[in-house]
Amino acid sequence: MRQVRISLVACLVVAGFILSQVATGDDIADRAHKLHFSSIVLDTHDDTTQRFFNKNFDIGKRNPDGAIDIPRMREGGMNAIFFSIWIDGRIMGPPAVQKALDQIDAVHQNVIKYSKDMLFCRTAEEVRRAHAQGKIAALIGVEGGHMIGNDIRVLRMFGDLGVRYMTLTHFYNDEWADSSTAKPEHNGLTEFGKEIVREMNRQGIMVDISHVSDKTFYDALEVSKSPLIASHSSCRALCNHVRDMSDDMIKALAAKGGVIQINYEKSFIDQAYKDAQDKFSGGVVEMMDQIRKQCGDDQECTERKMGEIEKQAVAEGKLPHVSWERIIDHIDHVVKLVGPDHVGLGSDFDGANMPEGMEDCTHLPQITEALMRKGYSDDNIRKILGGNLLRVMGANERVSHEMQAAQ
Amino acid sequence: MKRTAVSKTLFGTGMCLLTGMVMAGAMAADGISERAKRLHFSSLVIDTHDDTTQRFLDGGFDLGARNPLGSIDIPRMRKGGLGAIFFAIWMPSKTTGPEAVKRALDQIDAIREQVRKHSNDLVLVTTVEGIQEAHQQGKIAALIGVEGGHIIASDLRVLRVYAALGARYMTLTHSGNVEWADSSTAKPEHNGLTEFGKDVVREMNRLGMIVDISHVSDKTFADVLETSKAPVFASHSDCRAICDAPRNMSDAMIRALATNGGVIQINYHVGFLSQEFRNAEKAHPEWNKAIALEVQQRCGEREGCQLIEGDRITREYVERGDLPRVEWTKIIDHIDHAVKIAGIDHVGLGSDFDGANMPFGMEDASKLPKITQALLDKGYSEGDVKKILGENTLRLMTQVARVSHELNTAK
Repeated sequence: MRQVRISLVACLVVAGFILSQVATGDDIADRAHKLHFSSIVLDTHDDTTQRFFNKNFDIGKRNPDGAIDIPRMREGGMNAIFFSIWIDGRIMGPPAVQKALDQIDAVHQNVIKYSKDMLFCRTAEEVRRAHAQGKIAALIGVEGGHMIGNDIRVLRMFGDLGVRYMTLTHFYNDEWADSSTAKPEHNGLTEFGKEIVREMNRQGIMVDISHVSDKTFYDALEVSKSPLIASHSSCRALCNHVRDMSDDMIKALAAKGGVIQINYEKSFIDQAYKDAQDKFSGGVVEMMDQIRKQCGDDQECTERKMGEIEKQAVAEGKLPHVSWERIIDHIDHVVKLVGPDHVGLGSDFDGANMPEGMEDCTHLPQITEALMRKGYSDDNIRKILGGNLLRVMGANERVSHEMQAAQ
Repeated sequence: MKRTAVSKTLFGTGMCLLTGMVMAGAMAADGISERAKRLHFSSLVIDTHDDTTQRFLDGGFDLGARNPLGSIDIPRMRKGGLGAIFFAIWMPSKTTGPEAVKRALDQIDAIREQVRKHSNDLVLVTTVEGIQEAHQQGKIAALIGVEGGHIIASDLRVLRVYAALGARYMTLTHSGNVEWADSSTAKPEHNGLTEFGKDVVREMNRLGMIVDISHVSDKTFADVLETSKAPVFASHSDCRAICDAPRNMSDAMIRALATNGGVIQINYHVGFLSQEFRNAEKAHPEWNKAIALEVQQRCGEREGCQLIEGDRITREYVERGDLPRVEWTKIIDHIDHAVKIAGIDHVGLGSDFDGANMPFGMEDASKLPKITQALLDKGYSEGDVKKILGENTLRLMTQVARVSHELNTAK
């Protein structure tokens, strides 16, 4: 099946290429370039925040490693980014809260430091304004409900500090929601978890269902008055990973106006890679655990180690090569399933293993070009690059205003 | 000393009555003249220290309704013409680290929720312009002060987060020393401010937060004056010349504060206002212990309740004649003394309502016009009264904001 699909894609690409040659040299490349660099290109999940704590990292300079910095965002036309606030899901209570605050401050300080290039944004309108000013819109998402310290007041303070989405769990269950990568203990969302979803609606903080268990997803979908997002998840139909979404889940998400932001992590987009990785390391969570034993809390070390191990395994043929074009397959799958209004980009840059050809954000224009060659309209491409997410953000803002006015 | 204080108070009261009789019809039943009312209710009256925040967290407290207990709620603020209030974020000094941080967020949220809930009456502001705008709209400006450096858990990033959430001042210590500064009521261990403590002060300057030297040791105060690029204030302290408590300021300290452009905001706590009260307390430490025990029995760990009940039980001791009765006019004595020492531009109001023992006649915010009346009776000009009621604090805030702006643009 997969073979057939890939050759079909190849045929289309070749056909597109021939057509464009017939037209004006490479007309599509030019048009795609223009479209990409005039669009809001929004990425809902980047783990660059962790790097702010490394003295050697400077987001204002081009870095030899990692995937994100201002020069490369400029080069790749990426002009809206959600910096992720993340700590290990096993840290809970007040220490988790303080660490999250430290990271929120680090994002704010970096935005202030590079205020010529970045503008901190809290609303869809502000993102559009930043774009109009030629600035990169910087936003914050909290990756894991464990960081609110089981305290709805802390959630509200995160909102007041500019947090615009919260992933309900990370790899582990928190006090009120089950994760897709842990043994269920709450049967989805607890009553308090539902209260949190409602409060997020009231605050205009988008509910992010990446990482959560299927039951948690369906519970959140039922409770939420606003459309949800999956800030960085891909499609199970193409790669059967628990972190990804089944077609049924994607349909349910879309039916309520939500959006799935495609994750570029190799083991989430490529079945062959995932299978080999499971055999090689027992899965991504187990592999992270192994590495953390060596690196402790040093996230930079963890990332580096993971990269090294992975690279070597690929070189030795233990893990297959994965092309960046798998990202396009996932986008296309969602579009075929629920139309062009419910998919976007959630790379997981600086927090995952990138496929070949998508090593950093400078490669983003390839996505626009590939979609154009697939015959996507300019409008639909703009939606996928950022418009869909901004629509969902706007809808969340409206619900928030309504709920607050109703009080 | 004690005698003089008492007769001065009596003399003041006599003057007040006399003025009232002369002005005849102009004086209302509440003893406030039309002139004082006009002045008071057209002025921006600012109180830089109120512990009402604790009550928000105890549950069942509604700022919008007139409460039989405590000193602060919207009806009484309205009645007393209080135009701007700093709600204190506070927990005992023994609470430190991440636990303190989380509790502070809870309190900041509690304030923000109260403001959201009563948005017809209150508006959360962080600037002088914000206060003035609120006043013009007929709303009470709500501000946030953090009472104790222990609440930042030795983490400058947390300090910045508090500023981002609206905190406009931080008292460097509470009753205990913090990791980087000595308190006036603990054994010195840092010889004032540590190097990190100086970093905290400098970062507060950059953020535009007022450095509050109430509660800190004299050496910490001196170190702060040397380090701070912006004028500082004492959010709720009195004069040692009248009541010799370590929490109060000596004349030399008040002068130094004023020379730097700062303001001393007078505290209404009887133990800081009255030497007589303080002496009586010191002579009977067992009473304080008994009060503390009873408070514990009534309130458990609920801090809002503890503060209110502490005031109530202390009053019972006064009514029994165990502790001396302190009149509200003592507040005027401290204002007047500070004005004589520092000049009219360096004194303001920092009641400590809902967190201390209030003197007779100043039980709650509704009584504030009495201060205006008393100052007029003492011969203060209307312009001078306005300064004490709030303009001095506004000027200080403007200066702190200017220094912040300069430090941020200089980079």
